[in-house]
Amino acid sequence: MNPPSAPARKQRKPLRAYLQPAFVYALLLLGVVLVVLPLMWAGAASFTPNHKVFEFAYPFSWRALFPVDFTLEAYENLFARGFGRAVGNTFFLAIATVILGGGANALAGFAFGRFEFRGKNFLFLAVIMLTFMVPVDLTAIPRYILVNTFGWINTWQGLLIPGLANSLVIFLFRQFFAEIPQELIDAARVDGASWLRVLISIILPISKPVLVAASLLMFISQWNAFFWPLLVAPRKELRVVQVEISLAIGQYGTIWNELLAGSMIAAIVPILLVIPFQRYYVQAITGTGLD
Amino acid sequence: MRRQQLLPYLFLAPALGLLIVFNLVPTIATLVESTFIMSLRSGHRVFAGFANYERIFNDPIFWKSFQVTVVFSLLVNPIQIALALALALLINQKLPGIGIFRSIYLLPIAVSLNVTAIVWGLMLDQNSGMVNGILTQLGFARQPFLHSVDQALWSIILIASWIGVPLWSLFILAGLQNISPTVLEAAKIDGANAWQSFSKITLPLLRRVLAFVLVADTVANFLMFAPILLLTQGGPRLSTNLIMYETYRRGFIYGDLGASSAMLTVMLLIVFLIIGLELYLLRGAE
Amino acid sequence: MQKKAALLLVLLLLLAAAPGLAQDVTTLTWLTLDWPVDAIIEEFEARNPDIKIEAEQIGFNDLFAQIQVRLGAGSAVPDVIAVDVPLVSGYAFRNWLLPLDPVFTGDEVEDWLPAAVNAGSYEGTLYAAPISTSTQLLFYNKACFDRAGLMPPGADDRLTWEEIAEIAQAMTFDDDGDGTPDVWGFIWEQMVRIYQLQALPESLGGAAIGDDGLEVDGVINSEEWIEAYTYYYNMFNVWNAAPQGEEFWPADIFETGNICMFVGGPWNIPRFANNADLQIEWGVSRHPYFADGEPATPTGSWHIGVNANTENVEAATRFVHFISTGEGAELWWRKGSGDFPAQQSVLALFATEQEFDELPMSYMRTAADEATVNPRPRAVTVGFLEYEQILQNTFQDIRNGADVEESLNLAVQRISSEMAKYR
Repeated sequence: MNPPSAPARKQRKPLRAYLQPAFVYALLLLGVVLVVLPLMWAGAASFTPNHKVFEFAYPFSWRALFPVDFTLEAYENLFARGFGRAVGNTFFLAIATVILGGGANALAGFAFGRFEFRGKNFLFLAVIMLTFMVPVDLTAIPRYILVNTFGWINTWQGLLIPGLANSLVIFLFRQFFAEIPQELIDAARVDGASWLRVLISIILPISKPVLVAASLLMFISQWNAFFWPLLVAPRKELRVVQVEISLAIGQYGTIWNELLAGSMIAAIVPILLVIPFQRYYVQAITGTGLD
Repeated sequence: MRRQQLLPYLFLAPALGLLIVFNLVPTIATLVESTFIMSLRSGHRVFAGFANYERIFNDPIFWKSFQVTVVFSLLVNPIQIALALALALLINQKLPGIGIFRSIYLLPIAVSLNVTAIVWGLMLDQNSGMVNGILTQLGFARQPFLHSVDQALWSIILIASWIGVPLWSLFILAGLQNISPTVLEAAKIDGANAWQSFSKITLPLLRRVLAFVLVADTVANFLMFAPILLLTQGGPRLSTNLIMYETYRRGFIYGDLGASSAMLTVMLLIVFLIIGLELYLLRGAE
Repeated sequence: MQKKAALLLVLLLLLAAAPGLAQDVTTLTWLTLDWPVDAIIEEFEARNPDIKIEAEQIGFNDLFAQIQVRLGAGSAVPDVIAVDVPLVSGYAFRNWLLPLDPVFTGDEVEDWLPAAVNAGSYEGTLYAAPISTSTQLLFYNKACFDRAGLMPPGADDRLTWEEIAEIAQAMTFDDDGDGTPDVWGFIWEQMVRIYQLQALPESLGGAAIGDDGLEVDGVINSEEWIEAYTYYYNMFNVWNAAPQGEEFWPADIFETGNICMFVGGPWNIPRFANNADLQIEWGVSRHPYFADGEPATPTGSWHIGVNANTENVEAATRFVHFISTGEGAELWWRKGSGDFPAQQSVLALFATEQEFDELPMSYMRTAADEATVNPRPRAVTVGFLEYEQILQNTFQDIRNGADVEESLNLAVQRISSEMAKYR
C-alpha cells in the first residue's frame, strides 16, 4: 500500500521527528508565557490584599503568580457594592442581544446571501460596509441626542436596541448562507414550503457553526460594552459589568485588587463560552468563503 | 411574484432599519456637523463650509497625530499579520496536546480591550511592573516603556497585538484547515522542501483570507483608541497621540464638535482609500 | 411560529421593563461621583416627601465626558450635577448651568469660604454651590527622619521647597543596591495634575493664566514657571528623590513605608488614622513654599449645579440648597464625600468636636486652618479642561525627563490652539 519511496523517508524520520516538534513546542510555550503571565498575575493579585498587589512583581519572583496572603476581600467588597446586579444586568442584555439581534441579523444576512433584488449592492456598501467602518463610540453624541428624544435615557431599551444590529454579524451570515447548495432549498420550495419555513427547518439546522460564532460575537461585544452603557444608563440599577469595574478607579486612588477582581469576572465569562465552542468559530470562518 | 419581490426587503427591514437609525444617521450627522461651527456660548450652529477643515489642517497637533498614526499603522499591521500567520501555522501542527495550546491562545480574544490595557499598563510600569521585574532578574536594565518617547508607541503595539495576533490567527487557521492535505503531500513527493511548499502552495491558497485579515486589521487598528485613553493620553510628548484619540479628545473632552467631526471625516476617507488600495494591490497580485 | 411568538414575548417584556411613571412625586436625577450618597438622600427625602432622588454615580475619569455629551446635547436630565470647580466657567459660558443667586440668602453665601464662592461664580453670578473644599498638607513618615538623623517638622511648621529637596535626598535609600531606591524621599499625591502643581509657580509669584482668561503665552512659559518646573524636573531626574511611576497612589506606598514624605489632601488623615494595620508613625506639617516666595496652598473641590434645561427647577434648587448649606452641609461632611467642608460654620466644628481633640485626628484642625490662610484656586478660564489636560501631558513629559522650557513652550502652542475657539 505504501508508495515505493516510503522506506527511504522512514530512515530520515527519527531526527526530524524529534527536532521539529521540539522546536514547535518551544515556540508555542514562549507564546503561552506571553498570554498567560498577565492573566495569572491579575488573577493572583485579585486574591491579594490591596497593598500587597505589586509585592512580588518587582523585583520579580514566582510568588507574583500566586495570591499573597490569600483573601476574598476584593470580591466581597465588589459584590457588596452591587457587582452581582451588574453581572445579572449584563447577562440579560447579552442574551437579549443574541436572541433579538441574532434573529434580525440572520434575516438580513439571508436576504443578502440568497436573494437578488434592486439596490442590493448599494445597500450592502452604504449601510453594512459604512457602519462597519465607523467606530460607534465616536458617533455617540448624535446617537445620544436621538435616543434622548425617544426618552430612552436610563432604560433597558436605550441599552439594548441601538446595539442589536451588527454589520459584522450580518456579513458573517451572508457569507455562510451564500455557500449553501441551491438544490437543498429548491427541494423544499418545490414541496411548497414558505421562505420562512425554509429558513427555520432547512437552513437553521445546518447553520450551527455560524450561529454559534455570531452568538459569541454578539454576546462578547455586549458583555464588554462600556462607553455607550455609561452614557445612556448611568443609573445604579442599570449598571453593566465594565461600568461597575471602572468605579474602582477613583479620584484619590485606585483599589487595584477590586479593579482586577472585576476584570477577572468580566474575562472569565467570555472565556468559558469561547473555549468549548472554538471549533465552531473556525468552522464558521471556513464557511464564510474567506479562505 | 410581487410578494417574492417584497420578501428580501422584509427580511432586511429589522436589521437594516436599526443600522440606519442608530448607526448610519449618527454617522451622517457627524459628517454634516463637520461643516458647522457652533457658537460655544449660545449653542447656535452656523454653516461654515470648510472652516473646520481649514482649522485642523493648519493645526500642528493634527499633523503630528497624523504622523504618529501613519507610523503606528505601518508597524502594527505587518507585525500583527506576520505573527498571526506564524501562530496559525504553529497551532495547525498535528501534535499531541495541540488542542490545549489552541485553547490557551484563545484567551486574549475573550478579554476586553479595556481590561487588557489596564493589566498591561500595570505589567509595564517602570518602577514596579512585572516586565521590569523579570528584565532586572535576567540582568537587563529597567525600561521606561509607556513613559518614554521611544518606547511608548511600541508598548501600545504590544498591547494591541496581545489581542490582535490570536484573533487574526484564528481566521488564518480556518484558511489553513481548508487547504487539502493531498496538495501538500503531493508537493512533498515532488521533492519540495518545507519553505517551498509554504511559499508556493500554502501562501497563495491563503490569499483570500489574508486579504480579509489585512483589511480588517488595518481598520481595527486605525480605529483603536481605548488603550491610549486609559494609559498614555497621547503622551509622552504626543508620541502616542493617534488621530482617533485626538478626535475623541476634541469631541468628548473639549466639546469641539466641529474639529472632531472634521477629523473623523478625514479619517474615514483615509480608511476608504487604504482599503481600496489594499484590495487593488491584492487583486493585482492574482 | 413558536419561535416568532417567543421573540415577540421577549420584546414585550423588554418594553415593559421601562421605569413606571411616578404620580405626585418629582424624581430628580443627580449625576455624581461614587460617594456614599445614601445618608444625604434619605434625610432629604424624609424632609421633602414630594421629591425622590435618583443618584447616577460614575467614576471620576468618566464624569467629564458624560457631562460634555449629555449637557451638550441639551438633555433635561440629569437635573443636578456634581461640578469640579474649575469647570464652572466653561459650563456657565456654554449656558449649561442655572444661575443660583436667588436660591441663597446673603448669610448663606457669607458662610462659604470666599475662595469657594468666587470659584463657583462666573462673571459675578453664582452657578455652582460649594459642597466641599480642599487644602494640602505635607505628610511624613517619622522613621525616615530618624534614619536620616533629622528632626521632623511640627504640625504648624512650614518647610521651604529647598528644605524638602535636601531632606528628600537624604531620605531616599537603595537598600538592595540595585540602582533603584526602595524608599523614596518625596512625591506629590496628584503627581501630574495642575491642582497640586500650580502652587509651585504661584509661590514664586507666577500667574496661572492671562488676565483675559485665555492667554497662556508669556504666562505658563514665564521665568517663574520655568524655575518652578525645573525644581519639579530635578526632584525626579536629578535628585532622583521621587518615583516616576504613576501606577501607585502615593498614599498606598506611604502606608507601606516606601515613601517618606508626600504633599496630599486632608482626606488622608482619617484614612491613616482608621487603618488598624498601619505600621508607620506619621505626622503632618503645613504646605511647603519657596524660600524667596510666599506661601501658596492649592484649594478648590466639588460644587453642585443645576442643569439649565431641567424640567424640575424648583425641586432641583431645593436639593442644591439643602446639601450646600446648614444641616444638610453638615450631614454631607459627616456621612457624604468625607471631603473638607466649604462652610465656615461646618469648618468651625473641627475646633469643638471631641473627635478632633487627640492625635492624629487633631491634624484635621491644622488642615482646617490651612484651608483658610493661603488658598490659591485654579485658573479661571472657560477652557479649563483643555488647559488641564494639556498641562497634565506636559508635567508627565517633564517628570519623565523632557526639557522644561521646551515642554512648556509646546504646552503654550497646544493650549493657544485650543483657546482660539473661545475668542
